[in-house]
Amino acid sequence: MIRFVESVGEKAIDAVSSIFEALKFTALCLLHMVQPKSYNSAMRMVLTKQIYFTAVGIIPLFIMMAFLFGSVIIGVVIVLATQYNLQSEIGSIIVTFVIDEFSPFFTALLISLRSGTAINTEIAVMNVNKELNTLKEYKIDLIDYLFLPRIISGIISVTSLSILFAIIMLTSGYIFTLFYMNMDLHTYKNLLIAAIEVKDLLVLLLKSIAFGFVAMLIPIYSGLKTANAYTAIPISVLNGMVKLFIAIFFIEVFSLLLQSI
Amino acid sequence: MISYDTPLISNLNMLENISLIKEVHELLSTEKAQEQASEYLAKIGLSHIGLNRLNQCSAIEVFYVMLIRAFMTKEMNVIIVTPFFLIKNLRDIEAVFENINILNKHKTITVLDNITNESHYRGKMCHIIK
Repeated sequence: MIRFVESVGEKAIDAVSSIFEALKFTALCLLHMVQPKSYNSAMRMVLTKQIYFTAVGIIPLFIMMAFLFGSVIIGVVIVLATQYNLQSEIGSIIVTFVIDEFSPFFTALLISLRSGTAINTEIAVMNVNKELNTLKEYKIDLIDYLFLPRIISGIISVTSLSILFAIIMLTSGYIFTLFYMNMDLHTYKNLLIAAIEVKDLLVLLLKSIAFGFVAMLIPIYSGLKTANAYTAIPISVLNGMVKLFIAIFFIEVFSLLLQSI
Repeated sequence: MISYDTPLISNLNMLENISLIKEVHELLSTEKAQEQASEYLAKIGLSHIGLNRLNQCSAIEVFYVMLIRAFMTKEMNVIIVTPFFLIKNLRDIEAVFENINILNKHKTITVLDNITNESHYRGKMCHIIK
């Protein structure tokens, strides 16, 4: 019985200390983000490269996916709205669905799958190869040089790609309404303008920032915690991705809760 | 410190590995720091490896880049740990010492090595301290 209590206590202490450590790491990253001295030329160079790899490299695939998914999903939404006699609400349904929910969530998933895994592996490999040790030895701040550019690029990439995704999705929605409902561009445009609110844009922006932040922070932290063996790298990526998906779903649910208040 | 525990950064080329120190500690622009790094590489005839990555360089080239990187710091003491382990096919340490002299005039260089490698250092331009 005592052993059981001891093991439960040990696990609880481990869980609490790892949560505390993760929160401390998050706070440190946020603190460095607001310090001007973090932004030296080496950091800016890494930031530029990261934005290129995360946001620019994905654009052709992203546009194609946004157009395909956009037209199909908006099509389904419009068909369902018509079936339930909600034609008058189509504008607000499309705006809420596309801008508030689908664009940031889908972009975050895509960036997590593409860049989150890459960053988790990169940091884990650097850790195992003792390259992080080199940076420490030469007094190069890991947060400033390695982590901050990746986190900022994540925020910039998810936010800008979410906006792009929403624009493409709404455009492809017009193509569907044109063929399915014979709606002209002027009516469609007015429908969206009448439905869109500042709140929708704020939700898109805040959610994208939160998604971008966790999509980079969690893989970085997971890579940093990799044990000193090459066999530990896939385990680190696996754990990092599971935690990242939980965090993304948590943010999604939390934002839905906040919007429902 | 130049040792097995302080390797080069694999996602940077040789110039970037060297210039990183000046960019971070002296806040030099990337262009100026890389210019200085190129000058150092040219001094020992390695300017052609500037844009190479780690896997495109030989062990001795990687060693010299690690050495130049160490010279970029403000530390006056540079420690080289087991050079015969870092450069697997190194036969004569004298050539390394000659290049160190070309690259550096002010810093104190200390080589830490195993007693089994003592014969490699006998009669060379260095003091052996046990």
